[in-house]
Amino acid sequence: MSLLEIDTLAVQYHTLHGAVQAVRGVTLSIERGRAVGLVGESGCGKTTLARALIGVLPRNAAIAGGRVRFDGADLLQLSGDALNDYRWRRIAMIPQAAMDSLDPVYRVGDQLVETMRLRGGLTSPQARERAERLFALVGLAPGRLRLYPHELSGGMKQRVVIAMALALEPQLVIADEPVTALDVIVQHQVLRTLRELQETLQLSLLLITHDISVVADLCDDVVVMYAGRIVEAGSVREVFAAPHHPYTMGLRNAFPSLRARSARLVPIEGYPPDLASPPAGCAFAPRCPFAIERCWHDDPALLPTTGGRLAACHRAAEADALRTQAPQAFARLEATGPQSVRSGAPPAGGTL
Amino acid sequence: MNRVSFLLGRLLQMVVVLWVVATLLFLIFRLMPGNPLVAYIDTNFTAEMQQTLLRQFGLDRPLHVQYAIYLGNLVRGEFGRSFFSREPVSQVMWQVLPNTLVLTLSALLLAYVVGVLGGALLAARRGSWTEAWGIPAVLATRAAPEFWVGMLALAVFSFTLNWFPSFGATSPGSVYPNWWAKVVSWDFLRHLTLPVLTLALYLQGLPTLLMRSTMLEVMDEDFITFCRMRGLPERTILLRHAARNALLPVVTAFALGIGYSIGGNVIIETVFSWPGLGRTLVRAVAAKDYPVAQAAFFLIACVMIAMNFVADLLYTMLDPRVSHEQQ
Amino acid sequence: MSSSERAAALPQWTRATSTWRDALLVTWAVARRDRFALAGLVIYGVLLVVALAAPVVAPYNPQDLNYRPDGEVAADEVPSLPHWLGTTNLGRDIFSQVLFGARAALVVGFVAAFGVVVLGTLVGLFAGYYSGWVDTLLMRLADVAFGIPFLPMAIVLVAFLGPSIWNTVLVMILLLWRDTGRVIRAQVLSLRTRSYVEAARVLGASHLRTMFVHIAPNVLPLSFLYGSLAVGWAILTEATISFLGFGDPNVISWGFMLQDAYNSQAMARHAFYWFVPPGLCIMLAVMAGFFIGRGYEELLFPRLRRR
Ligand SMILES: Nc1ncnc2c1ncn2[C@@H]1O[C@H](COP(=O)(O)OP(=O)(O)O)[C@@H](O)[C@H]1O
Ligand code: SF4
Ligand SMILES: [Mg+2]
Repeated sequence: MSLLEIDTLAVQYHTLHGAVQAVRGVTLSIERGRAVGLVGESGCGKTTLARALIGVLPRNAAIAGGRVRFDGADLLQLSGDALNDYRWRRIAMIPQAAMDSLDPVYRVGDQLVETMRLRGGLTSPQARERAERLFALVGLAPGRLRLYPHELSGGMKQRVVIAMALALEPQLVIADEPVTALDVIVQHQVLRTLRELQETLQLSLLLITHDISVVADLCDDVVVMYAGRIVEAGSVREVFAAPHHPYTMGLRNAFPSLRARSARLVPIEGYPPDLASPPAGCAFAPRCPFAIERCWHDDPALLPTTGGRLAACHRAAEADALRTQAPQAFARLEATGPQSVRSGAPPAGGTL
Repeated sequence: MNRVSFLLGRLLQMVVVLWVVATLLFLIFRLMPGNPLVAYIDTNFTAEMQQTLLRQFGLDRPLHVQYAIYLGNLVRGEFGRSFFSREPVSQVMWQVLPNTLVLTLSALLLAYVVGVLGGALLAARRGSWTEAWGIPAVLATRAAPEFWVGMLALAVFSFTLNWFPSFGATSPGSVYPNWWAKVVSWDFLRHLTLPVLTLALYLQGLPTLLMRSTMLEVMDEDFITFCRMRGLPERTILLRHAARNALLPVVTAFALGIGYSIGGNVIIETVFSWPGLGRTLVRAVAAKDYPVAQAAFFLIACVMIAMNFVADLLYTMLDPRVSHEQQ
Repeated sequence: MSSSERAAALPQWTRATSTWRDALLVTWAVARRDRFALAGLVIYGVLLVVALAAPVVAPYNPQDLNYRPDGEVAADEVPSLPHWLGTTNLGRDIFSQVLFGARAALVVGFVAAFGVVVLGTLVGLFAGYYSGWVDTLLMRLADVAFGIPFLPMAIVLVAFLGPSIWNTVLVMILLLWRDTGRVIRAQVLSLRTRSYVEAARVLGASHLRTMFVHIAPNVLPLSFLYGSLAVGWAILTEATISFLGFGDPNVISWGFMLQDAYNSQAMARHAFYWFVPPGLCIMLAVMAGFFIGRGYEELLFPRLRRR
C-alpha cells in the first residue's frame, strides 16, 4: 500500500466571479521513501492541492469531492484534534511563502522548540538540544537559533523552515516551490540539502515546482499537472526521456537543461484556461499542436500507457510519433498562435 | 531614517508645539473679556488698591513684557498664586495631579486588559453572533456620554444601592499619615471604584476595536497559516502568535491614551467630584482663576504631548523589525 | 490602520467614483447593504422630524414653569399623563425639553461636522496638491492641533468667547479638522500622480480646476466618512460642554438638561425619568453617526469587511 493515495480530489474557491475549480479530480499516489516532483505552470493548482493534503486551505476554499488516504486513514474525514495530530507528525509542509512563515516577534529557535514541545511532546531541554541538531542538519550554526527572522537571510529562513519540517520526523514532507525566492546558487544548495535529508531520513517528499529541471535533478518520480488535473505521471527517467503527453513534450522543449541538443527554446504558446469555467474537452486542446476533433469535446481520462506510466491524452498511443514532430509542431504553433484558428477545430466553447 | 535623529526631530517638534500651546494660552487669558481681576477684586476697593493688586500680579506692564515673564515662569515651573486661595499654584497642582494619575492609569490599565481580550475574542469569533452584536455594543459604550454613564452609576450604585460614596477621593474628615497610606486605604479605593469603572468602560472601546482589526489582519498572515499547518492548538495560535503580534499597535495606543484621557478626565472628575487636574481646570475656568486654569491646562498639554512622544518611542522599540530597520 | 495605510488601501474604488453624483450614490449603496448604517440613517431621519416638529408636538414650552391646578409650581413631578416624563425641580416639562433638545443636537451636529469636513478637506486638498511649503505649513499646523488637548481647550475657548451654541460649533471646527485634513492629504498625494489627473493638467486645466473637478470627487467618500463620525463627536462634545456648565444658557440641549438634573441632585432623588431620556438620545444620535461611518468604511475598505 502506498503512503499517500489521492483519489479524484476536487477543490474549489468561492469567489465573486463564481467557483474557481483549482483542483479538478486529481488522482495520485506517493510511495514510501520516494521523492516525487509535481510540476506545472503557475496557477495550475499545485499549491491548492498541497494545502488540501495538510488540511489548511484558504477560508474561501472547499473540498468538492474525492478522497485522501494517508497510511490507510481517510484524511478528509478527520477534523479537530485528530487532524491536528496528523499535521506535522505525519505530514509536514514547507509552504510557498516560507520566507514569511516565521513569526516576526519570536526567535527562530523558540519557534522550533515550541513546535517540538507542543506537537512532539518533548521537554524544553530536549527540544533545545534537538533544535541544535536540526540546525546542524540543515547547515545552520547553532548561534542562529537566537536570532529573529528579520535578522536572517532568505536562504537561512528557508533552512529554518526545512528544519521545522523535519523536527517531528514526518513520513511525508511537502515542499511547495521551496526555493523560488532565492538566488540561483542558494537555490541549488537548499535543494541539495533537502534531497540528502530525504534520502538519509527515508521520508517521502512531494516537491512542487514549476521548473522541471529541478525535478529531473532531484526526484524519483514526476507528476505533471495542468489546469487542475494530472496529465502525466511516471518515473523521472522515463517521463523526461520519452513523454507521453503533448504538454510534457512542450514543457521539455521549453527547458534547455533537459534537451541539450535542441538549439532553440520553444515556449508553449497561449495561456491555461480560466478555471472558473473550464472547457468541456481536453483543457490543453487550445494550446496543443496535435489536437484532433475529439479533443475539443471529450475530456481524456488519466489512463495507464506503456511501462506502468499514466497519461491523459487521446493520442497517447501515438506518443512516439508525436514526440518526433513536437519541436517543429510547437514552433509552428508559436508562429501562428493558439486557439481554434487551425483547421478542423471548432471555436473554443463552440461545442455543447 | 536614523533613530537618534528621528527622535531628536520629534523632541524638537514637541517643544515647538508646547510653545505654541503656551502662547495660545497666554493670549486667551490676557484677552479674556473684562479685567482678569474682576472676580477677585472687591468692589469696595479703591482705585489705588486695585493698582497695587495689578502690580502685584504683574498685570500693569506692557503685554510683551508680560509674555516674556510668563514664558520664563513656565520654564521654571512657576505659575504664580491662585487669585482666590492665594496658594502657590504649583502647590495646588501637586495636590491634584497624583489623584488624576491614579484615576487615569488604573482606568486605562483596566480598559486595555479588557479591551485586548475582548478584541481578540471578537476577532476569533469572526462572523458569529458575538461579533454581530459585540461591535455595536462597543460602539454604544463610545457613544454614551461619559458624564451620563457616571450619573447612572451614581444613581444606581451610590444613591440606590449605597455601595459606593458619591463624591470626592476620601471621606470628609479622614486624615492619613502620608499619600501612600491614603491611596491604599479602603476608603480611597471605595471612592475610586465608580470613577475608574466609568472611565474604563468608555476607554475600553478603542483598544477593543483596534485589537480586533489588527488581529484580523494578522490572522491572514502567512506565519499564522504556517502555525495551522504545524497543528498548533488553536488557543496557542490565537494568543501566542496572533494576539502577540496584534498587540504592537495597541501598546502604542496605550501611551497615546494616557495623554488623551488625562485631557478627557475633565468629565469624569467633574461628575464624581474627584479632586484632580481636570476638575481643577473646570472650576478655575468657571471662576476666572486664571493662574490655576493656565497651569492645569499647561500640565494636561505637557502630559499629552509627552505621551505622543513616548508612543513614538515605544513603537520603534517594541517591534524587532522597526528597530532593526532604523539601525 | 493608520491614515496613510487607509489611503493606500483606497485605489480599488477611487477611479469608480469620479463625479460628485457617484459620490452620493456611494452613500446610498452604504445604506442598502448595511443594516446598522440604515439604522443610523433612520435615527437621523427621526431626529430631523422631531427637531422640525418640536414646537408643534411638544405639549409645553420647555422653558415655561408649570403649575398644578391648585396654583402651586408643579416641581419635581413624577411621570404622569399631563407630564409624560415628569417635571424638573423648577417645574419645567421634561418631555418637551427632550423634544426641543433634538434641535440643538441636530444643528450643532451637522453644522459642526460640515465645518470640520469642509475645513479638513480643503486643508488636505491644498496640502496634498501643492506639497512644498504649503504642505509643510499646513501639516505643522495639524501637528499643533493634535498637540492641543481637545476638551480642555474647548472649555477655555468657549469660556473666552462666551457661552453660545455658535461658539461651541466654532471651537469644534477650529480643533477637529486635523484628522480629516491628514487623511485627505494622504489620499490626494496618491491621486495626484494618477494618469487622468496628469492628463487634465497637460490638457491645460488650471490648478483649481484640477483640484476640485478631478481630485476632490475622489476624496469625497472619505470626507463623508469623517463627516458622519464628526456628527457624532460634535453632538457628544456639545453635550459635554453644556454639562460642564459652559453651554448656551438660552438653548435647551440634552447636555444642558443633564447638567440641570445633575445640579438639582436628580440622582439622589432617583429621578431616572429626568436624566435617562436625554442621555439615551445623545447616545442614539452619536451611534447613528458611528454606524453610518462604519458602513462607509466597510464599503471603502473591503479588506476589513471580508473578514
Ligand atoms: N484564495 C483564493 N481564492 C480564489 N482563487 C484562488 C485562491 N488561491 C488560488 N486561487 C486560484 O486557484 C488556481 C490555482 O492556484 P494555486 O493552487 O495557487 O496554483 P499554483 O500553486 O499551481 O501556482 C489559480 O487559478 C488561482 O488564481
Ligand atoms: S487529448 Fe488531444 S488536445 Fe489533449 S493533449 Fe491529447 S492530443 Fe492534445
Ligand atoms: Mg503555488
